[in-house]
Order: sequence, then structure tokens, then C-alpha cells
Amino acid sequence: MAVAVPTSESLPTVPAEILPTTSKPAGGGGFRSHLGSLLFLLPGAVWLLLIVVYPLIATIVRSLFDGSGQNFIGLGNYKSIFSTTDIIVSLKNNVVWVILFPFLVTFFGLVFAVLTERIRWSTAFKTIVFMPLVFSATAAGLTWASIFFIDPHTGMVNASIQGVSNAVNPPGLYPIDPSSGQTVSSLVATGTQTGPGGTLESTTTVSPGNTVQLGMIGISPVTLQQDGAAPAVAPTASSGISGLVWRDFSPTHPTVRGQIFPDEDGIPGLHLSLINSSGASVATTTTAKNGAFTFANPGSGNYRVQVTANNFQAGFNGIFFLGTQSLTPTSSLSPTLQAILSIPIVDIAMIIAYLWIWAGFAMVVIGAGLAALNREVLEAAQIDGASEWQTLRRVTVPMLLPVLVVVFVTMLINVLKIFDIILNMAAPSSQAGASTLAVAIYNNFALPGGQGLAAALAVVLFILVIPAMLLNLKRIRG
Amino acid sequence: MAGVVLEDLTKRYDGGALAVNKLNLDIRDGEFVCLVGPSGCGKTTALRMIAGLEEITSGEVRIGDRVVNNLPPRDRDIAMVFQSYALYPHMSVRDNMAFGLELRKTPKAQIDKAVVDAARILDLERFLDRKPGQLSGGQRQRVALGRAIVREPAVFLMDEPLSNLDAKLRVQTRAEIARMHTRLEATMIYVTHDQVEAMTMGDRIAVINEGVLQQAGTPKDLYELPQNRFVAGFIGSPSMNFIDLKVSQDGGVVRLTGEGAEMRPDDTESALLRDLGLDSVTVGFRPEHLDLATLSGPGLSVTVVVDVVEFLGNDELIHGSSEGRDVVAIINADNTLKVGQSVTLAAPSRRLHLFNPATGLRVAEDGASTTGGVANRVTTG
Amino acid sequence: MSVQAASLPVTASPRKRRFRLRPSRIVLNVVLAAVAIFWLVPAIGIAIISLRPNASFEQSGWWTVLTAPAQLTFNNYQQLFSAGFKPGGVLDSLTTSIAITVPVTILVTVISSLTAYSLVFGRWRGRTLVFLLIVAMLVLPLQMALIPIASLYKVFDTSTGLHLFGSLIGAIIFHVAFGLPFGIFLMRNFYSGIPHDLLEAGRIDGAGEWTLFRKVVMPIGIPALASLAIFQFIWVWNDLLVALIFLGNSSHITLTMYLYSWTRALSSNYWIISTGAMISIIIPLIVFFAFQRYFVRGVLAGAVK
Repeated sequence: MAVAVPTSESLPTVPAEILPTTSKPAGGGGFRSHLGSLLFLLPGAVWLLLIVVYPLIATIVRSLFDGSGQNFIGLGNYKSIFSTTDIIVSLKNNVVWVILFPFLVTFFGLVFAVLTERIRWSTAFKTIVFMPLVFSATAAGLTWASIFFIDPHTGMVNASIQGVSNAVNPPGLYPIDPSSGQTVSSLVATGTQTGPGGTLESTTTVSPGNTVQLGMIGISPVTLQQDGAAPAVAPTASSGISGLVWRDFSPTHPTVRGQIFPDEDGIPGLHLSLINSSGASVATTTTAKNGAFTFANPGSGNYRVQVTANNFQAGFNGIFFLGTQSLTPTSSLSPTLQAILSIPIVDIAMIIAYLWIWAGFAMVVIGAGLAALNREVLEAAQIDGASEWQTLRRVTVPMLLPVLVVVFVTMLINVLKIFDIILNMAAPSSQAGASTLAVAIYNNFALPGGQGLAAALAVVLFILVIPAMLLNLKRIRG
Repeated sequence: MAGVVLEDLTKRYDGGALAVNKLNLDIRDGEFVCLVGPSGCGKTTALRMIAGLEEITSGEVRIGDRVVNNLPPRDRDIAMVFQSYALYPHMSVRDNMAFGLELRKTPKAQIDKAVVDAARILDLERFLDRKPGQLSGGQRQRVALGRAIVREPAVFLMDEPLSNLDAKLRVQTRAEIARMHTRLEATMIYVTHDQVEAMTMGDRIAVINEGVLQQAGTPKDLYELPQNRFVAGFIGSPSMNFIDLKVSQDGGVVRLTGEGAEMRPDDTESALLRDLGLDSVTVGFRPEHLDLATLSGPGLSVTVVVDVVEFLGNDELIHGSSEGRDVVAIINADNTLKVGQSVTLAAPSRRLHLFNPATGLRVAEDGASTTGGVANRVTTG
Repeated sequence: MSVQAASLPVTASPRKRRFRLRPSRIVLNVVLAAVAIFWLVPAIGIAIISLRPNASFEQSGWWTVLTAPAQLTFNNYQQLFSAGFKPGGVLDSLTTSIAITVPVTILVTVISSLTAYSLVFGRWRGRTLVFLLIVAMLVLPLQMALIPIASLYKVFDTSTGLHLFGSLIGAIIFHVAFGLPFGIFLMRNFYSGIPHDLLEAGRIDGAGEWTLFRKVVMPIGIPALASLAIFQFIWVWNDLLVALIFLGNSSHITLTMYLYSWTRALSSNYWIISTGAMISIIIPLIVFFAFQRYFVRGVLAGAVK
């Protein structure tokens, strides 16, 4: 049935029955048909002239005036575009999008199009991957925002990372959060000092038959309750080395240290290590619910008791994917340079979400191009001796180049105008850092007195789109 | 160079349809064999199985001494020329021809020489740096031929390479391919639906119909001794005429009559017909073997009413009908027959072909119908 | 056509494929299955979140529902629907979206057809030039028109006392304008395939242009119209920018605006967001599955929006 385009999912085409043998342009008909067809043009023409063409010119003109619209300032708005940090950030983000997205989406589209040719369930696969196009960028942005939530309990990505992280580096019972600047030294109290490698050690050495007390502060009583802590008791001597690790803070006697008060709890579940005089660990044990511990049969000598670093191992708390933390090391640069050179991590998250939406489009368009290729050329390559990979690289992909360019350029234009997903996915605190040209236009439009700048930004966007416009015209003409 | 042997080659599709049915063919080293038959007869499928582009359901393909059934195309030492040329559109002519050798990591100097040599043979030197899109159909087909030559394969496979060319180019390129064959002394397997092409180009021809080999032999064999009705009607242009005659015995004399024709068989034929006990026979006779003269010996004569006279220069092509049956004859134009005229045409015994109406097989001289159809390694001639 | 397993991927038409079970094929199927699952997960996630009790969002990930399926409930939907059609609620936003999308779709398809007819079958000079202008407009960002049109509406409102800015009609007019270039492009390409002789025969029979359009060209063009309609529908349904600009302060908002407004609020409203998102997705999803082929064709035809 198809006429010109031989693909199965191609342009809607005219049924074969009504096709002619010739299609010479019509002659005759006279004045009436002239008038009729011109009349048909009227609604569309008027609509377009009024709402598209006139505003195009009006916006350009408006961009040359200031915020109020009364004073002509020439290129003043354009100058402020390149000197306002916020707008520079927007432009920078557009650059990030433009560099990363069109290439990635075309790449994945190509990979999927090629791979799906070789499975039986290609239609189902294509439907699944294509379906997100039906989502609004708004809905998709929200969905992916939840996936990237920072809390590992609810955000899928962070939950996965936490799963791996906890398996590899299990968090201790009393984690210290290094990102808040806290170190082990903040836990030091009577009888303890910081030791090597993030540990705590007893201040005194001890030998078998003696006891030792290690006090710690900075441990939350809630945590202790959760771990089932019991009130601390002074240690009794044994043949080995026994002792107590307790929370050296009493709410009733807040300033007194070193004394074991009844309302002070032992610290349960602490992993302890017995360190001999040469620094080696000779035994390990764990504190009981009341913080008591015993090393049964150490040899004679002087030892220190060490609270090992793994007790303070921080758990994974989630990465703020939706924030503007830069992936490039720009923290020491000037604000303007930072604006230009930083790559906010939220951009990457949003690009992933946008790929989820649009890879299906690339796949379908490239798939149609692939299906339209002359099979015999690929067979000729087989006969010439090309392996599958060689055929793909040296014959199939070069032949697909026009289609790949179409997809690339289409996605490029799409991404220049990116808007919805920024608003709905970047965290509220990241909106300024994740903003793009289209977002800047909207923000300035909403500001009283921002219309001039918004118009100028729109003109910049227009200029960026012009090369694609010319490319399209060239394609249609040729 | 190598010969190709097809043994019981069969292709069955998932629905059960048999595209190629136990094809047996022995192609000698350096031979030019044409696979010919109507559209859909399986000749292209057979060729593609030889190439490795179609999976073989059963049977064997041997190239040289190797069984190639499980080898991918690139390991079979073949080259193929496609109907649609199948040139790489993004590569220059030079690169198109060099591609196969490049893949095999042939040294550059060798590649260049091979490409230039092939280009010279095919008169493509001026086009080496052009892309296929800038060439005409005939030039593209020559590039396709060049691509095959450069590989110096054991076997050349060609799938209707001339079908997309206009008549004049077709004749030219046909000659080029023939020249190529002589020069390279290459084994070539050539698929076409055009029996004229097959007859003019092939050392031997294999006629295939509905997946079954009908007959394989030299053009002369197929023309003079078609083994069944299909081959008889397929080979020769215009095609052979067929008339069904009833056998009657009158005393010891066998006579055949029917449809406005009458045949007096010679002694051999009479004996055959008597022995086989056939009561009807299909007689085939070629248009070019009909004459306006009356028969002097055994043979067939048929009276027709002239419908159409086509002037061919030296000859006339006469379309006539005899009791509803169409008869075509080529006679000397001096006879100037007229439409509506009733004439008697005759063909001598030696120009007649007798076929068993039920089986379509030739009524042969060894006393039995030949086991035509699936011929076992028919290598006549 | 069956290809030996070691050789090239070949698509189905017109030859069939046979697949041998080889390790590389198994790996391929597994990898693609993983990709398919990855692709489905976000949608499944948002669906499940909308079906969970709203407090649970803070506490545990939606995937935990696999171990406790009993918690699923339509509560969230009931809650949103119980607000009825009050402005700013989800149901009112749904009707607002419909009230904008449907007229736009109808207008774009009709006007595009008329204009395309004129471009293809008309006999006036300059058709090619106009078509090239349309092609140029295909990529024109609508940001270029926002400011002047907003001003135009406001001027219109103050001078006539009517209500364009902040009304559905204002949004509809704008959407139609920016849907026309693609619509005209698509229909024009399709109509070019219709032989002129067909209309000549009609003209000789005495048919006027309107009759020819209605009785000959439009019926033939239905497949293309379907593609355009579906594409345009989903495009406008999912729009946020135009809605924000022209309905920003209106009491009736679109579904996309509704979702956006809750996004800006704290994440503890995620039950609203997810439920609203599901509601906003349902209609395009139905349209997509029912008319998949047409949608794909529309996408292929344009590939420029």
C-alpha cells in the first residue's frame, strides 16, 4: 500500500487505489478556484500572521527597550544578559544540556534500534521505551524527582547506593557524620583520648588484673535507649582486663566528669580491641548492655583498650542529586567563573530523566530509517567479509547518517527550550542553579519590569535556533 | 576456482511451503551455469543458499571439496552481484571495490592494483572517485561486477543482475559478463527469469519450476530434447505450440488426430505409442519449424485460420487458431498471408516432441518416459 | 528469510527470521529485558506511590510494597475527588485541560487541512514561498510570542472589556497558532501525494473548491488527520509554559499547572503529586495505546517539534 516511503511506520500515505499514473500540475479551473483556494488560506494565514509573525518582530523590538518599555536602550538588555550571574548560569546549563543530551539520546536510540532488530519481542520493547513520550515533562520531572530523593528510605537511587554501601561498609552503632565536620575527638571524655585511625583509646595503660574506665560523651541517649543500654556500673577486677565504657554525662550533674552517676548508662555493643605495647591488637571483645567488658586472658604486659573506628563508621546518608553541587572542582574560583564552569549534579539527574522520555523517539525514528535500508547492501557486506560489528560500523551507521542527523538536530532544538522538567525536578533550592534560558525568560517575564530582559533572552533563544531553521529549509528545498 | 555441488538441496519455510525441493546439480569448475525459471520458482532462494544468505533446511552445498552448509558467507570464498547492485552509497567506487580486500587485511598496494585492474577491465577508471549516486544504472552494475572481480572468489553468484537495466544496456552488459567469464575462467552461477539470457550466456542451463529441477543441460540439449512439457514450453521464443491428439490404431497403423491437426508418426514413434498404450498424446512443435509446404513423410499437419500477421522483415509471425487452439508459426515473409485465410502448416517428425499428457514427461525412445522432474545429477551434454 | 545465527540483523519485511538460541542471543535478551524493566520502573513507582497511604511516603520506599501488598488503597484518589470540581482542585484542572486541548486539536486539524489544501491545490503564485515560511516557523520558539501576545491580550481586555488574558480562550488562541506550522507541514506533505487529476475530474464535473475539499481531499486525508490530532492533543495536554503564562493567576488551571503548584510546596504532599500525575497521565496513555500507530506516524512525520 505504501507509496514513496517504504517503511512500515512511515508517513501517512495515500492509498494506492487512487494513485495516478501521472501527476502533472492541474490546469484550467479559472478564477473561481483561485478565489476558493485563497480563501482557504485565510484563517491559517491570519492566525499565523497575528500570533506568530507579528510577535516575532514585536519581541525583537521590545528587546531594545528597557523594563518599562518606554526607553530605548539599544543593546543594553543584551549586555546585562552576559553580565548577570544568574543568566550566565542559565546559559551555562543550556550548554551542558546541548553538549550532553542530543548526543546521548541519539546514541541510545541507535543502540536500541539496532538491538531490537534481533529479538522477537521488539514491538513490546519499543512500546515500553516509547511510552514515556506520552508523559508530560512535568509528570516525568516529578516522577524522577522522587527517584532521586536524597532520603535513602524513599529515593530509589539513594536506596540502592545505600544497600551497596551498607554491604561493603556497614555503618557502626554510633556513626559520626564527617560532612558536618564532626570527628571522633568530640566523643572524648574522662579516660579516653583519640587514637590512630579514627579510634578512641584509654588514656592509661592497663595490665591483667586491673580495670579501666573509658568515658564518652556526644552519644545520643535515644540511640543508647534503642540499643538497650543499661545503667553503668563500676567494673570489678578479674584475672584478665576488665572495664567499663559509659556515657560520661549526667543530666543531673551536667558539669561533673569521671564519676559514674546512676543516671549514666553504659555504652552497649561497642567493638573494643586490646592493643599491646607494640601497637598490635591481641584480642577483641564487645561491650555488654551496661558497657562492661572483659578481655579474658591477655598475656602479661601493658595494654591500651581501643574503641575501634568501625563503631563510628557513618552510614550512607544520601546524595543530594537534585542539588547544584558541582561535578567540576570549581569551589575555589570566582563567582563568575564558577557560574560558567560548574556542572550542577542536578543537570545530570535531569538529563537522565529526559533521556527516559526521549530515547524512545530516537529509537523509533532511527528504527524506521534502519528498516528502510536496502537489505542487499548489508548482505553484500556480509559476502565481502564483514563481521556484524564491521558491517554496523562501516556500512549501516554511515548509511543511517542522514537519519541520525535529523534526530540529533531535532533533539538539539528541543533541548534549547528545556523548561518543564527544570521546574518540576530540580529541588526548590536548586532552581536558580539549574535554570535554563527558557526558565530565565519565564522568570523575567513574571517580574515587573523584566519584560525587556525577557524579550532579549527570547531573541537569544531565537538566534540559537536559526541554524536548525536553515538546515530544515535546506533539506526541504533540496 | 572451484566447482559447486548441490546435493538434495531443500528449503522449507516455517509454514511448510517448499521453496526448493531436493535440488541436485553438479557445476564444474569454470562453468557458467544459469538457473532459470519463472518468478517464484526458487532459483533465487537456491542461489542465496549457496551464498549463505538463506538457511539450508536439508541437503548439502559443496564449494570445491568443502561442505559449506554451516559456514557464513564470508568464509565461502564467493562473490555476489545483486539485482539492485547493492553498492555502498557512502563510499566511492574505489572504496566499494576495495572494501572486501580491506576487511581481509590485504596490503594496500595489492588492493590498489586489484582495484585499478578491475576498473580497467570494466572501463570504470574515470569513475573511481565518484559515489554510486553519481553513476548511471549500467555504470553501477559494472561497479558491482568490479567489486566481485577484485575478490577473486572461487565462485561468482549473480542474481538477475541485468533486470534493472534498459534493453540496450542489458545487451551490452550481457556481453561484458560473458567476456568476464572467458577472461577469468571463473565458475559462475547466474540466476535469471529470462530464458533468452540463459540460452545465450550459459554453458549449461538448469530449468527450475516450483522448487523442482526440470532439466539441466546445454542450451542445445534443452532446445532440441526438452525432457518435459514445462521445459519445452519455457525454452524458445516464441514458445512451442502444443496440441493434444488422440491416438487411434487402424489396422497396424497408428494415427493421431485432434483439434484440426493430424499426425502420422514414424516407425519409432508408432512403436512407442503402441507399447505404452497411450490413448492421447501432447505434441509440441516450435513456430520456427512450421512450414506451408505439405508433408512428404511422417509429421504433423494442422489447419489454422490466420488471426494476426506480424511482419518481422525476413519472416512473418503468424497467429492462427485451429479449433479454438492457438498456433504460432514463423514462416518466410514472401508468403504474405492474410487475416482470415485458412492455411495448412506442417512440421516433420524430427521436429516434433511427444509428451505424456498425464505426466508432462517426454515420451522417450528408450521405451519408457524419462524420470524427469527431479533429475538426479542430470549432466547431459 | 532465515539468516544463519552468526550473521547480520535483518528486519522482518518481507522475509521472516529464525532465531537460534546462542549465548550471545541470550545475553542480548537479558540485557534488553533489564532495559525494559528499568524503563517501566518510574511509571510503576509513581503508580504505586499514588496507591499507598499518604503517610508512608516519608517512611519507606514504594518498592517495599512488594512485601506488603495489602497496604494498597485508592484512598488518595478518593480524597482528591472528594474535593469535587472546586477551582484549583484536580477534577477542575482535568476539565480545564480538556477544555483547552480539545478545541485546540479541532481547530488545528481543520485549519491545517484548509491551509494545506490551498498550498497544494491552489493556483496562486507564491505557494512555495509560503510553504518555506511555514517550514521556518516549525522551529520558532513560542517564547518569541509570549510577551507581545500577553500585552496584546491585556490591551484587548482593557479596550473591549472582554477577558482574554487569564482565560481559556486566550490560551487556546495561542496554542492553535503554534500548532499550525507543524499541522500545515504534515497535511501539506500528505496532500502532495494526492493526484491533481482527481480534483480536475471533480472540477470538470462542476464541483467547487469547498466541495472538493470536503468530499474528496479531507476523506482521503483522514489517516494524516488522525496522526496530527493525536500528536497535537498530547502536545497541548502536556504543556506547562503557555498555561503558566496565560492562566497564571486564573482560578481554573490545567493539570500540569496543578502538579507544578504542588511540586513547589513541600515534599510531604507527594501523595497529591503522585495521584495527580497518574490522573494527568491516564488520558494521554489511553490515546497512545488506542492509536499508537497514528501517534508514531505523527512523530516520524515531523521530528521537528
